[in-house]
Amino acid sequence: MDDKSCSSYRSALAVSRRGLLASALSWVAMPSALSQIALGGQPDQGNAVVVVFLRGGADGLNLLVPHFEDAYYRARPALALAKRDLIPVDDRFGLNPALAPLRPILEDGRLAFVHACGSGDQTRSHFEAMNTMERGLADQRGDASGWIARHLASTPGEGRPLRAVALGGVAPDSLSGATQAVSLGSLEDYRLQGSPAFRAALGQMYAQHRDEISVAGRETLTVLERLNRLDYSAYQPAGGAVYPETGLCQGLRQAAFLLKAGVGVEFACLDIGGWDTHVAQGTTTGWLTGLLDEVARGLAAFVADLGTHMERTTVIVQTEFGRRLHENAGLGTDHGRGGVMWLLGGGVQGGRVYGAWPGLGPDDLEGPGDLRVTTDYRNPVFEVLAKRMGAKSPEAVFPGFRPKPLGIVG
Amino acid sequence: MNPDRRSVLQAGAALAAAGITTGCARIAPRFAAAALPDEIESPRIDASPAYRVLHRAGFGPVPGQVQDVESQGIEAYLAEQLEPTDQDHPALMAALYGIEPLRMDASELRDQAEHEVLRALQQAAILRAVYSRWQLRERLTDFWSNHFNVYGKKGYGAYRKATDETQVIRKHAFGRFSDMLHASATSPAMLAYLDNQLNTEAGPNENYARELMELHTLGVDGGYTQHDVREVARCFTGWTFETRYLRPRGKFRFDAERHDKGEKLVLGHRIPAGGGIEDGQKVLQILCEHPGTARFLSGKLCRYFLGTGEGPAQAAVEKAFAKSKGDLRHTVKAVLARKELVDGPPIVKRPFDLLVSALRGLNATTDGDSPLQRHLDLMGQPLYLWPMPDGYPDAAESWTGSLLGRWNFAVALAGGQIARTSVPIDALLDRSAEAAFDTAASLLLGKAAAGARPGGTSAADAFAAVLASPEFQWR
Repeated sequence: MDDKSCSSYRSALAVSRRGLLASALSWVAMPSALSQIALGGQPDQGNAVVVVFLRGGADGLNLLVPHFEDAYYRARPALALAKRDLIPVDDRFGLNPALAPLRPILEDGRLAFVHACGSGDQTRSHFEAMNTMERGLADQRGDASGWIARHLASTPGEGRPLRAVALGGVAPDSLSGATQAVSLGSLEDYRLQGSPAFRAALGQMYAQHRDEISVAGRETLTVLERLNRLDYSAYQPAGGAVYPETGLCQGLRQAAFLLKAGVGVEFACLDIGGWDTHVAQGTTTGWLTGLLDEVARGLAAFVADLGTHMERTTVIVQTEFGRRLHENAGLGTDHGRGGVMWLLGGGVQGGRVYGAWPGLGPDDLEGPGDLRVTTDYRNPVFEVLAKRMGAKSPEAVFPGFRPKPLGIVG
Repeated sequence: MNPDRRSVLQAGAALAAAGITTGCARIAPRFAAAALPDEIESPRIDASPAYRVLHRAGFGPVPGQVQDVESQGIEAYLAEQLEPTDQDHPALMAALYGIEPLRMDASELRDQAEHEVLRALQQAAILRAVYSRWQLRERLTDFWSNHFNVYGKKGYGAYRKATDETQVIRKHAFGRFSDMLHASATSPAMLAYLDNQLNTEAGPNENYARELMELHTLGVDGGYTQHDVREVARCFTGWTFETRYLRPRGKFRFDAERHDKGEKLVLGHRIPAGGGIEDGQKVLQILCEHPGTARFLSGKLCRYFLGTGEGPAQAAVEKAFAKSKGDLRHTVKAVLARKELVDGPPIVKRPFDLLVSALRGLNATTDGDSPLQRHLDLMGQPLYLWPMPDGYPDAAESWTGSLLGRWNFAVALAGGQIARTSVPIDALLDRSAEAAFDTAASLLLGKAAAGARPGGTSAADAFAAVLASPEFQWR
């Protein structure tokens, strides 16, 4: 080192006790953006979004059936659902009867569907299409982070615990890049370990200062305390809700508990696989019906359980793509393009189907015979973010995308 | 090292008198209300200069190292750190030798599962940071590996990162910035991560060009325009990697047929028509010599090492970078010469910093393998898995939402619950078990704990508490 740098060292080393005290003081008094957060006060009653991802490509045409299209019945001689079996939505579409548990919610106007909805992904690969959607892109090119992560980073509250949680153990790509997102196999995982003495020491140590870590630590302890006090193992769902004993439905049960606990959860991500119905997908009974029944019963329980909390909760159900119009030789359907997005709960102007219908004629279809995408999946998602979650600019969440509101969210 | 008991108590009294803190909790979380022993007073950062230097120019002291550096002299210690050799602790070198994927290139790694490759890369990073005597080199590797971030799960990122880490980051950490930048620009890991293999005359892709200026050199306010982005992208058309049959797959390749040979104008410099690979090389040179690069990099280095990226420190480092034409050893030397290394604002430890400083502070034995890596994941920083090109953030608010993961890590480490990672707590206790809190504070915080000690805690509890303390989350 040259003389100059040495001399600055000597001066650093010669820091007096007084200097040390001064630096300690300045550290303790460090201003904090978080210092205004109320501690242990009222439960958080902010809006929240629950994202349910149907992995494998849910068959939108047998979920929300275009019964006015003869082409549908011609293309699916074995798999088509008769109009008389459907839950009526409007004069063109009817719902798969397996969604009967959601019928009261539909008729209340709290459940909406967007048909022919999807991304620009042309690969028809599960992995790429899911990844595109969870990153919030048109196709594989662009930001590698997730859309929820970008939304969180662009709205106030960065640094608060438990803003986003994945229930099911694996964090989806939509949370990629959110350092504070928590991925839980079970709510039991969000628990402070250690002896009572350790936990007491923690409470003591974090009670003292005003630096960002100390303040956030107090908030985290408050969240843990509240969850601990409410005790999920003793949780009794409200409204007579009964959640089926499946992964998705138990995840919804945990999401309901968290949202009602008011611990500041803004996003809960869940998923359910098995929608890749290439073979024997069934009609009013069978594979697809079973999956739809599970989702419908889970969501119906969730809505009943949340009660008035549903007014601040919006559920988005999405899938990476829809399936081909024509049934295949195995009485299933192959990977397609346009699918169905569902929205229910807070702010949703439901009871109807949104999105332009692209038609099923030979010239209307795309590629190997797939429903065209007429609504970019980011349109309804951004509507939820803008109307419910404080998103200001689409650029921050969906770079390069200019959303066109559909008017689904009031 | 230990400031004597009296002065520490005085420090505590002074702070209390200043009204900044009180012995008992003003806002005690209800969570712990019943069990609060009210004697603990939180330790704070007023540790010795050597302690702070070891935390900021490295990953924290191992037991006894603060005293060693005090007797050696901080200047001498840092001078030595600036001249690392390939010689390191034999146990570390043997452990690294055992991690085969480190020595394989992307094509040789293809038979391995992605998560296995990531596991090996993380393991190497942890072992090096914990055990290497060349702590500054590991700090710089952390800095540059984030500066030139590559996401392990995009494409075959994990497979390409092994070579990138050695050939781009570690190789040039004490070399010239221009060499590091050139190595990065020709690294298949970076080219694939930022889509430059798709950047052709027929279909230009601006991803690499933009991040090259915004993140790698000039900074977002560095004075370039969208027009420059487009022109730089044109200069890098054809910079790709080998995918042809019977060729060494995955090596850098310049594809002249896809290169845009027209004239370009980059940041006011005319790049004549008819050029080939030299167009991109010229851009790298323009960027390295641009004053915006010196300003941007000096600010970022100062923030990382000194806790402040502005003022006289940044100005001095900017000057050192510019004057030495981007000599990184010289530049880092200028950073470390600043008094802010010792008295600058504290920096929130990222989870990797926390994990490594905990292991070092407690003289842990670890294989750095998945049971330990799982905690990095739970704390929010699985290495090589930051999806965005800006690298893991350093702002405090990026990390305050995941404190639970840190606390549970503290419990697991002190309690010996991490498979194949252990802490010799009994051996570290130089006094009675009742003094465990003092011992832990002395080892981890570089000073004696102020105030009275917690009663009724086990040694593991005391160590976990200090690891989980607010103070230990800062460096």
